[in-house]
Amino acid sequence: MSVILSIASTTLGEAIRRRVLLVILLIALGSLIIAPGLSVLQPRGQQAAITSLTMGIIQMTSALIAIVLTVYMIPNEIERRTIYTILCKPVQRWQFVVGKYLGAVAALGMMIFFMTLVLIFVTSLNSGFDIARVQELVKGPFMYFWQMAILSAVAMMFSTFVTPLVNFFLSSGIFIAGTVFSSVFQSFMENRGTNELTKTLASAVQYIIPNFALYNVQNPIINPGQEIVNEFGYYLQSVGYALLYVVGLLVVAILIFDRREV
Amino acid sequence: MRIPRTKLWTLVGGIFLAQGAIQMFGALPLWNQNYKPKGQVSSNLSPDQMILAFAGMREMIANILWVRADTFFDQGMYDAVLPIIRLTTWLDPRAIDIYATGMWHIGYNFTDEQSRSDRRYIPSALALGAEGSRNNPETYEMFFETGWIWHHKIADGFPKAVYWMEEARKRPDLPPARGNILSMAYQRNGELDKALDLMYKQYDAAAKRVLEGGEYGDRNQRDTVGNNINVMLGRMSQRGAFAKPGEKPPVPFDTDPKFDVGFTAQVTIPEPAQLRIRATWNVRPVGTRVRVILRDADYPNAIPGGMVWDATNEVALDPPKNLTYMQDDNLFFRNRRADKTIDMSRDPTMYPLVSDKYYLEFYYNPRIAPPHIQDKFSWSGEGMTAKPEFLNTEIREGQRVVFYRMELTRDMLRRTGDWLDKVPVFATPYFEEDRVRNTDDNLIQVPGILAEP
Repeated sequence: MSVILSIASTTLGEAIRRRVLLVILLIALGSLIIAPGLSVLQPRGQQAAITSLTMGIIQMTSALIAIVLTVYMIPNEIERRTIYTILCKPVQRWQFVVGKYLGAVAALGMMIFFMTLVLIFVTSLNSGFDIARVQELVKGPFMYFWQMAILSAVAMMFSTFVTPLVNFFLSSGIFIAGTVFSSVFQSFMENRGTNELTKTLASAVQYIIPNFALYNVQNPIINPGQEIVNEFGYYLQSVGYALLYVVGLLVVAILIFDRREV
Repeated sequence: MRIPRTKLWTLVGGIFLAQGAIQMFGALPLWNQNYKPKGQVSSNLSPDQMILAFAGMREMIANILWVRADTFFDQGMYDAVLPIIRLTTWLDPRAIDIYATGMWHIGYNFTDEQSRSDRRYIPSALALGAEGSRNNPETYEMFFETGWIWHHKIADGFPKAVYWMEEARKRPDLPPARGNILSMAYQRNGELDKALDLMYKQYDAAAKRVLEGGEYGDRNQRDTVGNNINVMLGRMSQRGAFAKPGEKPPVPFDTDPKFDVGFTAQVTIPEPAQLRIRATWNVRPVGTRVRVILRDADYPNAIPGGMVWDATNEVALDPPKNLTYMQDDNLFFRNRRADKTIDMSRDPTMYPLVSDKYYLEFYYNPRIAPPHIQDKFSWSGEGMTAKPEFLNTEIREGQRVVFYRMELTRDMLRRTGDWLDKVPVFATPYFEEDRVRNTDDNLIQVPGILAEP
């Protein structure tokens, strides 16, 4: 376990030192700060629009960070040959993969945490500090964290056998498919007019591709006052789903990386 | 340590099965119930719009689009606003202001050169209102707005106005003063007891708020409703609403005897797509407006004097281009006569006139008459009569209305074929052009401060 934690902490340190990630984070933080200045919107919808914008900034930035952070992780170690210095020690390959992943997720969590702090600060500055509102607001980033944990696992799995550039597009594609097209697949499955073959295909895709849309819980945050049924149960199941998916993807990554020539 | 590959692949298989089960039977149904965006985003947006929309900025994009629509409003580019209304409400189904403004825009703003609105859009406006109320059921606003379109713009189908206003009143955020309009809708629907009962409830609620230290608005509401109750009781009494069947009052009700409105009309088509209407009406006080409709004889969902306006659920951005439906609610009578030219020639897209056969209808319903006219005719035309050819008690249940229909052809309206050199002239029975001039007979007696005791 100490081996894994040691690799994870090193990875976290590397991530913090990477300028590209810090630039992305700074742009996101800047955007969050200036977002409430958009006062040209319709008066009543302004609060909803600003919350929607800030949530969107956090989600998109997190996705970008998750992919950029993870796609280079293993290929860079191989390219710079630093992996030899690690694997020649009593470190198993699976420990290396798991450590790298945990380090990436820790870095990601830290960045989402910073963005959430800025979100709370900016919101409180605009409409006063309200603990109930803050509790609602943090649900969004909390679920984004788990969404990005899955995305990182996807990128990590691909990084064991494809180049970073291909991985970037593959992971982005799967993220888009799992968010944007989740509803489309679902409407295919539920539409009575859809033929059986299409329904089966849609079900299969929905079943296989990680459903990132499950972590988009911002609707009631943007438009408060909606009745939420079994919220705790939903969060429990979603986190469970994320953990299962992550474990599954990491096992696949380990199995592939185990056979790979480095 | 050697990795047990087979066992691990089996584990992966098990994990994928488990995640699928959690997703399909646990998390996804709850997500659909709690968090899924309402509306029809996924099936109506283009892929690029969908990507932005699902990137978590739907409301933001909707707002930016709506700001753009404002520019189009200012420039008078009303057509360009329509797709934006549709797109923004798909993106943000909670945008009540966009729904309400969109309804108003669709229902009112597309007008011809003489300021008659394009009634072919009304079903779309109502469908948008219904959609907005479905997507925002917790607030009164879209219910009220939809009811208002029925009450004010359509001014027909009175039970529909009552339905939407009642739905609005079920919501606790309805401002008290807006609740008063339901009482007016009840009156138009002939439900006088309900109208009065609601007034009392409104009064009691306002009086209670005043006692509890209410604000100016509460005192104002209490006084307004109190005044409305007085007026309503007076009107109901004078119009015979409290009379028992068969009872003869010591003083005749204002609705006795029935007054013959003396409606007749003549229509000429002096130029293509122009109707000159001259009509008689014996009511001397101003305030009478007769509805004139020219429509395709087979216009879908049309009924005498109007239409089943909410027959569709579709918000169509284009009205049915090959259909004609002209409605002018403003054939206005002064000195007991009206003379108006309805010019449709400058708006061929609004009035395509491509069908072979048309109906020209005259329709008058006391339910929407101003109070000083209703004082004689009462709410349902109890004090009104007309020649048998015009008086109708069938097309609107429980109401005595004036209705007359003429049949016209495309050649007549376009002045083509046999009508190239002839001016079509049609008149209702009894039409005498000189009759309305300088005669003092058949005048209505409206009670008031100048009336004889």
